[in-house]
Amino acid sequence: MSITDYVIQTAYELEESERYQRKKRAVYDLLENPHSSIRPYFDIFMMLMVISSVFVLLFSVKHHLGAWAGWFENAVLVFFILEYLGRLWVYDDVHKVVLEEYEKSELINEPFRLSKAFRSVFRSKWRYISSPMAIIDLLAILPSYRALRILRLFLLFRLFKVFRYAQSMQQFGSILQEKRVELVTLFGFLMFVLLVASSAIYLFESPQAGGHVEGFFESIYWALVTISTVGYGDITPHTVEGRMVTMVLIVSGLGVISFFTSIIVSAFQEKMGEVRDRRVAMLLEKERGYTVICGFGRIGQVVAEYLARDKLPFVIIERDEEAVQLARRQGYLVVQGKAERIGLLRTLGVGRQAGKVLCLTGDDVINVFVTLSARQLDSNIEIISRANHHQTLNKLMLAGANHALEPFKIVGLIAGEYVGQPVAFEAIHDIVMGENDITLESIKVPCDSWMDGKTIGELPLEDMRLILFGVITSPNRSSDHVRSHFDLKSLRFQFNPGADFVLLGDDMLLVFGHKYSVLHIRQKLKSATYSK
Amino acid sequence: MRSTPKKVVVVGSCPVGMEVARQLMERGESVKMVDDLKTDVEKARTRGFNVEQINLQDDDALRRVGIGDGADILFALLDDDASNVFLLISARAIAPNLPIVSISGVRDTIVRLYAAGATKVIDPYRISGYKIYEHMHRSLIAETLDRTVFGRGDLDIAEIHVTEKSFLHGKYLDELSLSDRYNLIVLGVVDREYGDNLIFATDPKRHKLDGGDVLVVIGPEDAFAQFQHDIETEENFPGDAHS
Repeated sequence: MSITDYVIQTAYELEESERYQRKKRAVYDLLENPHSSIRPYFDIFMMLMVISSVFVLLFSVKHHLGAWAGWFENAVLVFFILEYLGRLWVYDDVHKVVLEEYEKSELINEPFRLSKAFRSVFRSKWRYISSPMAIIDLLAILPSYRALRILRLFLLFRLFKVFRYAQSMQQFGSILQEKRVELVTLFGFLMFVLLVASSAIYLFESPQAGGHVEGFFESIYWALVTISTVGYGDITPHTVEGRMVTMVLIVSGLGVISFFTSIIVSAFQEKMGEVRDRRVAMLLEKERGYTVICGFGRIGQVVAEYLARDKLPFVIIERDEEAVQLARRQGYLVVQGKAERIGLLRTLGVGRQAGKVLCLTGDDVINVFVTLSARQLDSNIEIISRANHHQTLNKLMLAGANHALEPFKIVGLIAGEYVGQPVAFEAIHDIVMGENDITLESIKVPCDSWMDGKTIGELPLEDMRLILFGVITSPNRSSDHVRSHFDLKSLRFQFNPGADFVLLGDDMLLVFGHKYSVLHIRQKLKSATYSK
Repeated sequence: MRSTPKKVVVVGSCPVGMEVARQLMERGESVKMVDDLKTDVEKARTRGFNVEQINLQDDDALRRVGIGDGADILFALLDDDASNVFLLISARAIAPNLPIVSISGVRDTIVRLYAAGATKVIDPYRISGYKIYEHMHRSLIAETLDRTVFGRGDLDIAEIHVTEKSFLHGKYLDELSLSDRYNLIVLGVVDREYGDNLIFATDPKRHKLDGGDVLVVIGPEDAFAQFQHDIETEENFPGDAHS
């Protein structure tokens, strides 16, 4: 068997090996996967390692450390090397690259050449090796092999490794990167001024002309100290010409400083929202099954209030600045932006850990669009949408909503009730508001509990001050003796089923009653020994 | 079952106003819609509502649409709380006894709307918000209610007025057993002995029905009609013969 055959066979074996894939996946989770649960611990561990190794380095400048310092240094180094190799390993799949090359050459009917495959493997790995973060990693390792003093400086590069593990640091970097053009412009201007000023001062302040500037390096040093408004004063101009140059340099220095400050400040201001949003997304990473509320209008506010009361996790997307501020004041997680942006929904975990999406904006077009987007991202997520107009109802259902609600329909209904029957209105109002102590509650009949197999008449409902509204049963239960029954989506509601109706396990009683009465009967159901 | 149509004035052509007007018209009431914002009026007209544009700050205009002059009830459904309060005060000054139902945009205004003379304040956003919450966490109850009570008139919540002459007069609530006889569940009662508020039927006291009391029952429409019919025609409680 030739080497080529062996390589290809190994590549195929790796492709099929589940153990290999699992191991690689574990390393990926540890090092790179931003959503894995273990990675934050790894990041903190590495950060501590970096900081302590640099601390040991600094401490050893004036103190003599024992042999353990050498061991510690070696241990850190081993970790760094393992990390570097691990990252290099999970960056891409070598066997896939090889197989791709192989299959390509099969396709165009050319002999497969190992050298070509290796070249593309190298190319793709080189992409990782030449990335800034990988270079920093390498610089943190390399200086350990040399005892040269200047290379020890590079050991401080380890501190840059902290960037890798701290997300806020990375954000700082990305902010600066986005202002690249401005910063390069400023740098160019600075270089120009420095060149002009230092040449001038070199010329005017040379010892021959009565000055104290000895060389060109000194004049550059002086110009930089002056332009940055630091002004140590170790080198000062003595000639009139030199002082003129200094004055011009000081004025332009003010400009440079203010330009630089304004670039940084404006960059941060522009990015502030994004930094905050990222923080929200990070907090959400830990949650499961939370609710995404699109639209923090007046209805959204009420829903958020109820969810907050029940301590259920949720996040709000709202585009209006004022509403966002209101939500922030309440201490809710909120992201300012358009819910229509599918990227925003994905960032907030729709398609991953989000459990429900509520589309509550006052605009039906947006509600339909968001419903559709959320359904596309996750086929199992529960979507409840608001229809501001009657015709939107079925459009929302078509777009994939689990429920579509017309919020004002119920308001119209109870308002209409008030005209004819003001007393009945009170009862309905209490039920729809859910704020009264009397509520409509469901009580599930557990299998093999004391309720299982009893008739309604045998239940002590009256003693417990509960009014039976009806029983929810499986859809195929007979309703022979029940005078009115209604079929729900997958179950059947038996209204006022009568004293002879036999309860079975998994049936659900719907009762009106005081919340304490409901709690009472639920407790009784838990204690299996209860007998009437 | 319903008596002569009532004259209702609906002020406000916002979504809530349109929905209320639509449902009232479906129930056969005589509805008059007014608003003072031209854009809202136009919008409602394109949706097929007959809205009259009047100046709501002018008392004569209010009188002309029937407030204090023929209207049985006023719905103040403007989108803006301040306008609602102003309208309520104007209407209350013209017609001291007119029932007025209003909506509140923010929770804090409910008290102010009552102070301005509202008979009843509805919080549409709270109702809608709670409905959505209910669909999320008590979906079975929400579905049942939607299917029965708030659906297309399958189950009605209705009130029965007890008169001195009816057989209900002098009966105790717990001896009626309406659920067996009529398939009606008693939700609550207004017992004039204890005031004018609705008392839920879970109340531990025994309530004796007298003339002027009101029962609130829930049940199918035909059961309700049968009961109403019996009250009007029968001399004695149908159950008495058997027991």
